[in-house]
Amino acid sequence: MAFNSLSYFFFLPVVYLVFYFTADRWRWLVLLVASYGFYAALKAPYLPAVLLLVTAISYTCGLRMAAQHDETMRKRWLWGGSFASVIVLALFKYFPFFESQTNSLFGLNSTLSHTLISIGVSYYTFQAISYLADIYLEIEEPETHFGYYALYMAFFPKLLQGPIERTSDLIPQLKKPYQFDYDAMRSGMLLFTWGLFKKVVVADRLALYADQVFNNVHIFTGLSLIIGTYAYALQIYFDFSAYTDMARGTGRMFGVNLTENFNSPYLATSIADFWRRWHISFSRWILDYIFKPLQLGWRNWGQRGTALALIITFLVSGIWHGATWGFVIWGLLHGIYLASSTYYRPYQKKLHKWLGVEKSPWLKWWQVFVTFNLVSFAWIFFRAGSLGDAFYIVTKLHGLDYQNLVTLLLFKPVQNLIILGVLIIIPVVVSHFKNRMNFFEQPVWVRWSVYYALGSAILILSQSSGNFIYFRF
Amino acid sequence: MELQDTLNKIFCEVFDDDDIRITPEMTANDVDGWDSLSHVNLVTTIEAKFNIRFTQKDLLKQRSVGDLIADIERKLAA
Repeated sequence: MAFNSLSYFFFLPVVYLVFYFTADRWRWLVLLVASYGFYAALKAPYLPAVLLLVTAISYTCGLRMAAQHDETMRKRWLWGGSFASVIVLALFKYFPFFESQTNSLFGLNSTLSHTLISIGVSYYTFQAISYLADIYLEIEEPETHFGYYALYMAFFPKLLQGPIERTSDLIPQLKKPYQFDYDAMRSGMLLFTWGLFKKVVVADRLALYADQVFNNVHIFTGLSLIIGTYAYALQIYFDFSAYTDMARGTGRMFGVNLTENFNSPYLATSIADFWRRWHISFSRWILDYIFKPLQLGWRNWGQRGTALALIITFLVSGIWHGATWGFVIWGLLHGIYLASSTYYRPYQKKLHKWLGVEKSPWLKWWQVFVTFNLVSFAWIFFRAGSLGDAFYIVTKLHGLDYQNLVTLLLFKPVQNLIILGVLIIIPVVVSHFKNRMNFFEQPVWVRWSVYYALGSAILILSQSSGNFIYFRF
Repeated sequence: MELQDTLNKIFCEVFDDDDIRITPEMTANDVDGWDSLSHVNLVTTIEAKFNIRFTQKDLLKQRSVGDLIADIERKLAA
């Protein structure tokens, strides 16, 4: 069930009411049943079974590992549990890839993968692995209550698309007695509505232009391709951060604060900075459980070890998104950006000094511009329908074909562009004020104007909504 | 204390800052420039100076300077 579907607007209040009127010691059960129901609503009966399987495996391995004092045995439980989770993930995620390979090898015509969906699997398998790794490192105690552990894995606001939570962040909040908090409820509802606005009004409108370019790349050249790429860069940000806002908003209504996943990522001044601001729960995960072990293991190779660890980490990150060459290249590009920056960094300050720009206020904005373009360049491979399309785009990015540009900008009525221009400015203004003032301390007329504006924008300006982009991962 | 002094010198050398005064509670957030890249330099320098070798698990578990000191003491005693 998607957050922007009608059924969710019935589901959420009903779950909340049942949750509210249930005694504290059974509230986990209400949320657990609701979460499995929410997952089952995707009409793929095997998905709740897979979730239960991964939950049971990691729960058992965690307890067994903690009961062992022998290091070799602990390692076995860690690897056994993690390996089983990865196998489940790989079976779901890469089945379409294996199927197409087998089809072409043996001349078969199997289409099973077309009906197979794997929504959510990548997120909770990552949670299972981090849980086991933290027990192995003795940073965390295993959770003995199966119900709470199962809820940690399944909690519906973060089930389909993250944030990827750590046990130490989520489980204590799930166990905490619930008390109705007017402020939390109000801010949760506002955050949810804000997310809905970003998704159905902004992201889905940007998608019109991004899709027009990426679905018909060969009729465009030069600036049109650049605009299409920027439109996609903005679309994926609004789409994904909208989902996170809706997840966090829902969580807050139940007294749970989920991890923030985005922090103005396109204001990053370097690729490393970008990854501290983009899909934060995921980047922390790959940093802690892939990059650090590799980097520390190869510490005697010096900078080469770090560079190689970065490339491999981001290659895995690409493959996590799916078994296509586009994702592989996207991941590799980020790995290469980061690996190169480890070599460039010692000279960066000297270069700025030599150019006399180290104190210039423009330096930061130049870095933001370069970072945004590097990130956008990588998005081309992420979004393009095929590798051929992606290579077509990167080789045709130069030149200004005026006719071509007009075709793109006017393929929808021009009002669309004007609305879009205004819409993109709103979130920028909001994030500017968010850190400077408390919205809920503003006068009643200001607050209610905002509520009405948001509500009307959603009702009047929403596009026929597509699914969230990150559902696929 | 002797160990902490030696370690302090290593910190000053690795982070190129003579004013660093380490405490057991100190974490990476408290030292300018202590990120995952400089951390590797710190670890390899410590290993070379004390002639010890951390396991990967030791390194992944360390959360503060105190953890680091405890691990060095344990390795030196072994």
